[in-house]
Amino acid sequence: MNIKDLPEESLFTPGHTACAGCAAPAIVRNMMKIFGKDTIVYTPANCLLVFSGTYPHLAWKVPYLHEAFENTGACISGVARAYRRKGRKVLVVGFAGDGGTYDIGIQALSGAAERNEDAIYVCYDNEAYMNTGIQRSGATPYGASTTTTPAGRKIPGKLEHKKDMAEIMRAHEIPYVATLSISHPKDFLEKVKKAKETEGFRYLHVLSPCPTGWRFDPSKTIEMARKAVDSGMWTLYEAEYGEITNIYKPKKKIPVEEYIKGQGRFRHFTPEMIEELQRWVDRKWERLYGEKP
Amino acid sequence: MYEIRFHGRGGQGGRMAAEAYALAAFLEGKYAVSFPFFGAERRGAPVRAFTRVDDKKIRIKTQIYEPDYVVVLDETLIETEDVLEGLKEDGMVIINTPKKPEEVQLSKPVKCATVDATSIALEILGRPITNTAILGAIAKATGKVSIDSIEKAIIEKFGARLGKEAGEKNAKAARVAYEKTLVGVSQGGKEFVPRKRWLPTVEEMPIGGAIGTLQTEAGLVGIGSFIENKTGDWRTFIPVVDKEKCIGCRLCWFYCPEGCISMVEDKATVDYDYCKGCGICANECPVNAIEMKREVRE
Ligand SMILES: Cc1ncc(C[n+]2csc(CCOP(=O)(O)OP(=O)(O)O)c2C)c(N)n1
Ligand code: SF4
Ligand code: SF4
Ligand code: SF4
Ligand SMILES: [Mg+2]
Repeated sequence: MNIKDLPEESLFTPGHTACAGCAAPAIVRNMMKIFGKDTIVYTPANCLLVFSGTYPHLAWKVPYLHEAFENTGACISGVARAYRRKGRKVLVVGFAGDGGTYDIGIQALSGAAERNEDAIYVCYDNEAYMNTGIQRSGATPYGASTTTTPAGRKIPGKLEHKKDMAEIMRAHEIPYVATLSISHPKDFLEKVKKAKETEGFRYLHVLSPCPTGWRFDPSKTIEMARKAVDSGMWTLYEAEYGEITNIYKPKKKIPVEEYIKGQGRFRHFTPEMIEELQRWVDRKWERLYGEKP
Repeated sequence: MYEIRFHGRGGQGGRMAAEAYALAAFLEGKYAVSFPFFGAERRGAPVRAFTRVDDKKIRIKTQIYEPDYVVVLDETLIETEDVLEGLKEDGMVIINTPKKPEEVQLSKPVKCATVDATSIALEILGRPITNTAILGAIAKATGKVSIDSIEKAIIEKFGARLGKEAGEKNAKAARVAYEKTLVGVSQGGKEFVPRKRWLPTVEEMPIGGAIGTLQTEAGLVGIGSFIENKTGDWRTFIPVVDKEKCIGCRLCWFYCPEGCISMVEDKATVDYDYCKGCGICANECPVNAIEMKREVRE
């Protein structure tokens, strides 16, 4: 599966009001091309909801529902069961942000995964609560300055490291878990296709660079995603029933410094902070690849 | 007391401008308050900010409905926002535009000041952020606050956020704008047509709340209806595709956040009605077939 295999027709219209350069609309548009029109979409409160579904407008060309912040997992479970009862084959997909996944939605998500509901859960991860003005979440990386972890005299940005949500989902031993990056189209599309073709609970986790919240030039969105992968800040792999089946390894690993350079949220980093972040990346790398970086 | 209403787009810094203006007035011994107003929308969407200045304490907390001055940070807003709404009889509009005041088309002739703040910002700051340059224009047009106080306020406010050097550059942008501002009277006669909003009553709502695609007086609503929202006027830079160079790889088509690139005879073609000018396509094109150019609008 490659870019050229994608259909022309889009199920997500232009005219939405995402910030210029936001990665999220490109992510959902391309995913929807593969999911197809027999799909029903659920979104909790987040940027995606607000830029694509502000009443009375809608950018989606499929049935689309807005549910509460904390219950994406529960909603997609119920709808999937209702369709099964009716004997209709409909793909049920939830698109939630990192806040709606790592923090407030984790209980409903974990329940749906444990029951192996027949649905796809997509977390688009922009590493903070962007819709409400850039508050830290469990996905925010160490040291990032957000409005609730403002770098200054008291604290140097967020004190804790990013939680490994994909690993938590892998531990549920569900049929499919994959991490994706829009900067790697072939890998991205193959994983979306695989998710569509798999039955049971599927979890897709995609990094979604946010020029507004990360404070970088909007033309650099894809570059940021690529550097996140190349530095090991973001790792790409697939797991089936808890076993890792495929890992992408960057050809050349770049230092995290390269990745954080162009981003305002890391502007205050000292050499010690860079080292701390690098140590975290290296630990993660060693766990995943079974070798020292 | 006098009141200023700022019209900008999210991300253009209208709120910072309103705050910095209030600070400048405060530095001259006045009482001043400022605050923004925005809905649930993102960067690029129309937003308003307000500043009130008085010789005594200010107790009113409402939005400003009858401003003495209206400041328009983005000229394209004149088409979609009723910028003259409630403007006092002898009020004035201050607009960021390369046009002369006499060339500006509004619904009636009003006192009008113009400055090409975008070009000034690009030249001095290297970015199309016009919220400091426009402050210089306000000082010149209104004569209510000195350019020295504007500069001080900018250095204090922007310097604290962006560093000393950036603060000084922004102050310079204001000074240059101050010198280049033209004051005159606008054209009238261009009627402003407000967009109708479709807000159904409970009886009109389909049972269960499901809405298909509906054609209403206010335009399309429901499934796929965002297509009617033309976001092309958010843009400062415009991507220009060199069809000779384009190899039809579709990367820009895949990455464009707006989905506004289509492939015509295997060449990338941009729908400028929607392109927000983010520059991703130009940045990602493997053969540099796309160039971002400063947009010139009629
Ligand atoms: C129960 C509840 N708490 C808080 C909110 C306010 N709220 C709306 S969107 C949002 C942030 C969403 O963050 P995330 O899930 O990361 O999505 P993003 O906006 O970053 O894309 C919050 C806190 C809400 N809608 N419901
Ligand atoms: S704040 Fe970030 S995630 Fe939200 S629309 Fe803007 S760029 Fe996208
Ligand atoms: S990225 Fe460049 S070469 Fe590829 S289709 Fe777009 S313009 Fe053409
Ligand atoms: S500048 Fe941005 S919005 Fe415009 S065509 Fe290129 S990628 Fe799309
Ligand atoms: Mg988020």
